[in-house]
Amino acid sequence: MKRTAQVLLLVLTGLGLLHTALFTDLYLRYVKEGLRPLLIISGVLLLLLGLAHAAFDRGADDAHDDHDHEHDHDHGHSTAPRIAWLLFLPALSLLFYAPPALGAYTASHAGSEAVKQRKGFAALPTTSPLPMTLTDFTTRVQQDKELAIKGRSVEMTGFATPVRGGGWDLTRIIFTCCAADAQTVKVHMYGTPAPPANTWLAVTGTWHTQGALGTGTAAAALDVHATRPIAQPVNAFTDDLPLTPS
Amino acid sequence: MPKTDELLDVTETVFPAAVRPPERRRRVLRRPPPTTALVIALGLAAAVLALSGTPWLNDPAVAAWRTVCLAITVQALPFLLLGTALSGAINAFVPADLFTKVLPKRPALAVPVAGIAGAVLPGCECASVPVANSLIRRGVTPAAAFAFLLSAPAINPIVLTATAVAFPGSPAMVLARLLASLATAAVMGWLWLWLGREEWLRPVVRHTGHQPGHSRFTEFRLGFQHDFLHAGGFLVLGAMAAATFNVTVPHSVLDTFSGSPWLSVLFLAALAVVLAVCSEADAFVAASLTGFSPTARLAFMVVGPMVDLKLIALQAGTFGRAFAVRFSTATTVVAVAASVLIGGALL
Repeated sequence: MKRTAQVLLLVLTGLGLLHTALFTDLYLRYVKEGLRPLLIISGVLLLLLGLAHAAFDRGADDAHDDHDHEHDHDHGHSTAPRIAWLLFLPALSLLFYAPPALGAYTASHAGSEAVKQRKGFAALPTTSPLPMTLTDFTTRVQQDKELAIKGRSVEMTGFATPVRGGGWDLTRIIFTCCAADAQTVKVHMYGTPAPPANTWLAVTGTWHTQGALGTGTAAAALDVHATRPIAQPVNAFTDDLPLTPS
Repeated sequence: MPKTDELLDVTETVFPAAVRPPERRRRVLRRPPPTTALVIALGLAAAVLALSGTPWLNDPAVAAWRTVCLAITVQALPFLLLGTALSGAINAFVPADLFTKVLPKRPALAVPVAGIAGAVLPGCECASVPVANSLIRRGVTPAAAFAFLLSAPAINPIVLTATAVAFPGSPAMVLARLLASLATAAVMGWLWLWLGREEWLRPVVRHTGHQPGHSRFTEFRLGFQHDFLHAGGFLVLGAMAAATFNVTVPHSVLDTFSGSPWLSVLFLAALAVVLAVCSEADAFVAASLTGFSPTARLAFMVVGPMVDLKLIALQAGTFGRAFAVRFSTATTVVAVAASVLIGGALL
């Protein structure tokens, strides 16, 4: 790989990282929010490396073109091995062709994440409908011995994932670190026809009676009263109450 | 398509003539250059550019593959930069005899010391491969460097804290992870002393430390850049392989294996290899695999940071394919054994 190609590669990768993490929120599709500073630092560093290579290492690979090309790369510092060409893929992809966020396809192929055991529950606020996350709802339904959720109207947000064999789930995909460790939380929806896959919705409804409330047999399911389309929240990959784009 | 190799004369200026012969020998020993990888890369790049917007790239499965592949790469890049920067700094700034002074003289003792020293390198597994490589270049016995390579991503404070958070109320899991990872790293180091052969390693002639008459900073910058581009290419290759499994392995197969205690350990170990979840996050994935025994989940967390597809690609790129295949296989076996023994005793 020649000097020009290396400069181009470093600069493009740096710009790609800055584009995704500094100028836009696209990085949230791929990694957790906490990585943002590291991505920005990495972007700046790569940009500087590329510019320094362009400025200081002139003539590093002139006059060697007529070598036999069979022998391989890494003898010295000023060439990079051929495998480095692969780095153009993520760089260009970040800049020009960012893949979409994970959605219904991934959710429908994933099992549902098991909810953590929680010891105690605070009293539910009296707001109605009560905004809740899918995880909170599932935990309440399956673990709260006080049955505080009984008869309460709750509002949850997520995207629609049609279920094979009928019906649909309201789903969220959660990252711990990046999209490779994505986990899915699902609450099954009763009473409305399935919306198109990946539609973001705010759904109000009450617990769908199935199993014994407050025990593990209770279904994480909702009788839907109303649905309302929403924009995809900025923090789509946490199971938090939605922050909508301003 | 510009050819990628043109620097014999540069080599000459960077290295004194005395170090040239091994290089020449290496060229004879070396397998054919990875033209296949190059062709694949260019084909894919052309495809991405030419077909942007065409339907099949936006098919849900392909889109998910692209997302996961890019996510693994993006997530690993900062840590790879850290690792390669450290590696470049060790090469350019650290006096050659520092490590040999600090580590015990006897390799058998240096192995566990290097394993424990892994605790100081924070972050994911991608950082440790270039660092281990630069340690070897600076004269550290390979066995000790490999113990460091294996233990660093598994026992650093960030990863152990994440494990404690993912398994609230079971400190035994954190302890078991620490001990099993350290044991695996040490055993692999000793195994290398016993059975390892230098010729499995790609001969190292490239980094020779600081050369009088050259600017240390330029040496650092060029070494850093070279290592980053080199490792980065292999990272992308590994991310592609991991994303393929990540998207195609249906999670329903999990339930098939969770019943049997023995199969479940082997299955989760295999899952850790193909999923390539970063070591800071794998505890959360392990915690979510509720159908499995604690020992099987421990195996997932011990194998994951030491062997996975992107690491195998990185190691193959750094140390050579002959090494990566043997080393990864042996590490998997030792890590599973350590998990079963220590998990059986503690969990």
